[in-house]
Amino acid sequence: MSKFSDALAGGKFVLTVEMDPPRGTALGDMYALAKGLSAKVDAVVVSDNRGAVARMSPVLAAHHLIKHTGAEVILTLTCRDRNRLALTSEMLAAAAGGVQNLLLVSGDFVTLGDQPGTRPVYDLDSVQALVLASLLAQGRDFSGELAEPAAFFLGASLPVATDPPGLAGIKFSKKLKAGAGYFMTQPVSGAADLDALAKLPMAADTKIIAGLELGADQEAGPLLELAKELKGGGKAAGVHLACPEAPQRLTELVDKLS
Amino acid sequence: MIVAERKPFDEIAAATSGFRKVLVAACGTCVAVCLTGGEKEAGILAAQLDMAATLGDREQVFSVGCVERQCDREFLEELGPQIAEADAVISMACGAGIQFLAEAYPDTPVLSGVNTTFIGVNEDVGVWTERCRSCRDCVLSITGGVCPIALCPKGMLNGPCGGADQGKCETDRERDCAWSVIYRRLENTGRLANLEEVIEARDHRDLLPGRQVHPAYQRRYSAHE
Repeated sequence: MSKFSDALAGGKFVLTVEMDPPRGTALGDMYALAKGLSAKVDAVVVSDNRGAVARMSPVLAAHHLIKHTGAEVILTLTCRDRNRLALTSEMLAAAAGGVQNLLLVSGDFVTLGDQPGTRPVYDLDSVQALVLASLLAQGRDFSGELAEPAAFFLGASLPVATDPPGLAGIKFSKKLKAGAGYFMTQPVSGAADLDALAKLPMAADTKIIAGLELGADQEAGPLLELAKELKGGGKAAGVHLACPEAPQRLTELVDKLS
Repeated sequence: MIVAERKPFDEIAAATSGFRKVLVAACGTCVAVCLTGGEKEAGILAAQLDMAATLGDREQVFSVGCVERQCDREFLEELGPQIAEADAVISMACGAGIQFLAEAYPDTPVLSGVNTTFIGVNEDVGVWTERCRSCRDCVLSITGGVCPIALCPKGMLNGPCGGADQGKCETDRERDCAWSVIYRRLENTGRLANLEEVIEARDHRDLLPGRQVHPAYQRRYSAHE
């Protein structure tokens, strides 16, 4: 379906990177970064008001990235800022704008952001958002028919450290049932963090991409080693790199991993 | 019960500034139990306002009245004689009581003395915690008697969000993740199968103003009467 889904289906150990749309109106920096990376990574994940801080619409940013850089894009949409009507319209816009992969998440709560008094939405939860996206692929929404279907390769997030451990399985199987084709974990700090997930019965046939996050001043060495360990270890289908405070460092990380 | 907290004194004092005779109307039910708006708290507020007026050289008189419940018309009638003497009333009841009082005495300005906070329980001495959002579509039978609407900040219906860490909530690492509590409760009672089905998107018409008529009174209040 998408290049990204083909890579996963073909058994490739995928590499993805995270980019925040600008907190402004100029997309130049994002283009420049994506142009350097797009040939070396399997997808660029465009975040959605990450950390509950307002940025440019990820739908528009994703569309322009595809158009101007040819990057394979995964569009993140959160349930925090949109009700079911807005999620539907953004998914339709994304499909019209060339987006083929979605990552549907609940979204960091508003009190973690810079405007903690914001009214959170959560009309749908992340499982219900996947249900909605699966309906759009069939050419309908919760209410009725659409003029055209909008089909995406659907992704969801997975927690790595639930207490009790069985709790992760509940969400995992519901998301599979709702149409998730791949999963991204919360940032992990060691391969052992993935053990609990790997033991779940549904993990065997599922594409789980391990999240890796690097701080602005953090040494890249341990992260690169972990990524290489995961590549050979069979616990993950790929790694997702985020360096939100210093995204330009993604170039250095990707060069060493690709 | 309904829990409330008293408004900051300065806000209440400012709201009363244009009135000479002010009645502080306590409510003897929920807000009395949570030590916010009962007769004792109304008396304390009246005394504070009185002192502030004296210090500020304002000629104001504050009196106290109390009824069993401000959310019931027959109790509100008892306040009639006192309200007739007052230029304004500070209601110490929950938001429902304040409105019903204002509706019962539409010619008298009614001010709020409290901020209504939630429907909750008395968890310990002096501690009240929220338990219900009155959402009109109760899932407690499925979720082990633990409400994901009231206790999960995101109201997640199908399990924890990705922000939960080691059983704690992303909004407050001291707060238990509602879904961890739900899971344990269901595991304890052998009902984990409750969590297998996807709970569908909710009907949020609960956000429309509510009205409920007991079936025995349907005919009396029917639009087709």
